[in-house]
Amino acid sequence: MEFFLQQLINGLSLGALYALIAVGYTVVYGIVQLINFAHGEIFMIGAFGAFTVWMVLGQPTDWGVSLSLLVLLPLMLLGGVLVSIGTALLTERVAYRPLRNAPRLAPLISAIGVSVFLQEFIRLFYGQIPGFPDSKRAIPFPIIEGISGESIQIGGVLIQMPALFTVVALGVCTVFLWYFVNRTRTGRAMIATSQDPDVSRLMGINVDKTIMAAFAVGAGLAAVAGVAHGLRYSNIDFRMGFLAGLKAFTAAVLGGIGNINGAVVGGLVLGVTESMATAYIPGQFGGSAWKDVWAFVLLILVLVFRPQGLLGAKVVDRA
Amino acid sequence: MIKLPFSDPQLQRLQFPARLAGTVGLAAAMLSVFMPWAYRSQALDDMTFWGAPSPLQWHFFALTLLGVGFLAVPFLGRARLKRWARIAAWNDAARAVSIGALVATVFAIGGIALATGGLVNTEAGVWIAFVGSLVATAASLVLPSSPEPTLGRLRSPSWLQILVITLGLAAVLFAAMFMLDLDDPGAFFLYVVLVVAIVLALKEFGAFGWLATAAALNKRVLVFGAFTAAFAFPFTQGGSDANMSIAAQVLVFAATALGLNIVIGLVGLLDLGYIAFLGAGAFTAAVLSGSAFATIGWTPPFIVTVLIAGTVSALLGLLIGTPTLRVSGDYLAIVTLAFGEIFRLTMRNLDGNDGPDLTHGPNGIPGIPDLQFGNFNFGDPQFFFGIETGRFANYFWLMLVVLGLIIVVFTNLNRSRIGRGWVAIREDELAAEAMGVNTFSLKLLAFAGGAFLAGVAGSVKAHMDTSVVPEQYVFLESAFLVAAVVLGGMGTVMGVLIGATILKVLPEKLRFFSDYRLLLFGLLMVFMMRFRPEGIIADERRQLEFHEDDDELAEEVEEELIIHQAHYNPDPKKGDA
Repeated sequence: MEFFLQQLINGLSLGALYALIAVGYTVVYGIVQLINFAHGEIFMIGAFGAFTVWMVLGQPTDWGVSLSLLVLLPLMLLGGVLVSIGTALLTERVAYRPLRNAPRLAPLISAIGVSVFLQEFIRLFYGQIPGFPDSKRAIPFPIIEGISGESIQIGGVLIQMPALFTVVALGVCTVFLWYFVNRTRTGRAMIATSQDPDVSRLMGINVDKTIMAAFAVGAGLAAVAGVAHGLRYSNIDFRMGFLAGLKAFTAAVLGGIGNINGAVVGGLVLGVTESMATAYIPGQFGGSAWKDVWAFVLLILVLVFRPQGLLGAKVVDRA
Repeated sequence: MIKLPFSDPQLQRLQFPARLAGTVGLAAAMLSVFMPWAYRSQALDDMTFWGAPSPLQWHFFALTLLGVGFLAVPFLGRARLKRWARIAAWNDAARAVSIGALVATVFAIGGIALATGGLVNTEAGVWIAFVGSLVATAASLVLPSSPEPTLGRLRSPSWLQILVITLGLAAVLFAAMFMLDLDDPGAFFLYVVLVVAIVLALKEFGAFGWLATAAALNKRVLVFGAFTAAFAFPFTQGGSDANMSIAAQVLVFAATALGLNIVIGLVGLLDLGYIAFLGAGAFTAAVLSGSAFATIGWTPPFIVTVLIAGTVSALLGLLIGTPTLRVSGDYLAIVTLAFGEIFRLTMRNLDGNDGPDLTHGPNGIPGIPDLQFGNFNFGDPQFFFGIETGRFANYFWLMLVVLGLIIVVFTNLNRSRIGRGWVAIREDELAAEAMGVNTFSLKLLAFAGGAFLAGVAGSVKAHMDTSVVPEQYVFLESAFLVAAVVLGGMGTVMGVLIGATILKVLPEKLRFFSDYRLLLFGLLMVFMMRFRPEGIIADERRQLEFHEDDDELAEEVEEELIIHQAHYNPDPKKGDA
């Protein structure tokens, strides 16, 4: 039982990470029906943004335990979020907006281009900044005392602090997101635009700005996920967005793409499935070597049996 | 077009002096190749001699000679040129030549300065060429733009058409041979600039309009000639395998890209895991190859292996396609991407440790023997008429046959009822379904068919590379395949062949560049989608889809259709345009 609970906790914390990224896919898809293929890279850039803040502020002086946790971590989160949002808005402007009325293949291919470009940009140029570590390899993520490497024991279950951080971050972000979508003008404009962009425009909604808001919200959450990823695995690298992005998309489809609650649920379900598959599938096909395979098999199974996703968002097909 | 600070009457008066100045400038540039361009021989190719131009200088000569012709011939006057004055775009072509020559000289000066450490090593010749092209560029900007050339409507004797097609193919063969032999990156760039300039100038002139008509009328000659030229290619390499290995890789890549072109170009489904189908074919062939590391002892004849490899890939395609093709097309992109990852991870894991030992995990299967047809071993060099051709030449010829088959399948499908159904799905799936097109099964057919072709290509690739490793089949390779299709032109055969060649040859030739390769690749995808989504060679129907609001283009396409129709059916009673 303890083993099961442990796996459940592991899965939930992993799932929280996926969920944070998945929201970005779902929000953007809900409004412009675009799979923002570069979203994984936005997540990666968020982590690098946070790392940059640490390189600038955190290195020279030792501020001690509490200060580092209370001051530096929020600053890193803020830095990562800002960098991610900036990148996301820029890519939206350059690569997606001009293609809004093009056939659906065009923005998707453009998004692949953006994804490859951003990865390579970080790989080639981030390490060129004087004093920064070589970005062609994995970069060790800074140790935040009180979180990195620490854990608390509850009964027989060990909870890693970075995992707890991820879950708490997801909780906070979900509340924020709920408030933003349901209680602010921009949020309600987003809902309206996702239902019918033309009519929303007639109602005086600035569709361009609303779409930008959707990209910004997704990017912000992805950056938080980037920091959580850094704390969890204690390193970051330019490739980390690819697999994480793919998993997060799986999570978004799992929950029903276009449905924000669905993305959160889908992320958690995917995380738990992965950790349970690693722990409980017996024989050679268990273990961590196959966990990614099982995650993708789950995606394909969902598409066969419940293409609208677990929470069943209406499948929008505007041909 | 650049706006010039002259009024129309002023431009009228400037025309004659501008034409004269341009002609003189280009002629000077043309003659400058007989002077040395560089002081030292290591810059570009050896440009240090008086009276003996280097090969690159000869290309520059050809370009400027064309330009002098475009500028000087209109001196004869409208009356004497008769209809030639109207049906060809003399001024636009001259402008293209001048700008091309200017870019080329700037490249040459830069290349010489970089390779020899300073502008000191440039000689008077290259500066004359530079100034001459500069004058010609300025002059050609003053000349009014020509109306749309209508060379395509010109009736010409068929022997002339066949002759030009033959010469054109010979030129392509020569260009490919010459390009592959250039080792110096500067010289390679300069050569590309020169070739692009010549091609663009001919395009502006309207020559391709005529060529398209000629090609349409002599399709068999063209196809036969093209394959003859390709078959002859290994003989130009003097037994060396260095370039042949690149050429054979290009063919494998092109064959795979053509398979993908069915899925993307005809049906409009984005497959981001296509490389997995190539990999499935390669692994199947490797396991059945009789290599010492093969995990299945049975070694069927290669023909059977090819069919098995294709079938395995097609089955995988069915497995992935059945669930995903029912839902919106966007899912397919990500599911295929996920499938590509599953494939790679599975091949990595089947090492006897994390699963049954089928592929030896990350090490893959090395030591795959060369193909053997009867007594003919693909590893042996061949001698034809005293010319030696190496191991890769054999695979090159085999791949050429495979490619030919794929092209035949592709073009015939494209024109069949199935192909029309595919295009209908691409343009509007709902409407197609309403018209009675069985969208699901047609999409599945395309998906599995494309996978089959990739599997076939993969089985040859396994023998050619002699080893198969999971890491050859990463997502980036799939992205490159998509890029080849997008860059060349979705839905066209020629475009995809060109796209595949560019994407495979450029990295081989620009090794110093390899670190920035992917960065540029990403930018290229974004800018292609923004500025020329239909690719280098555009499928007309496809082009219209990307530019729906462009009425002018729609009329142009319609007009061209009518011209073609007139050529095919000279008797208006039979034609129903």
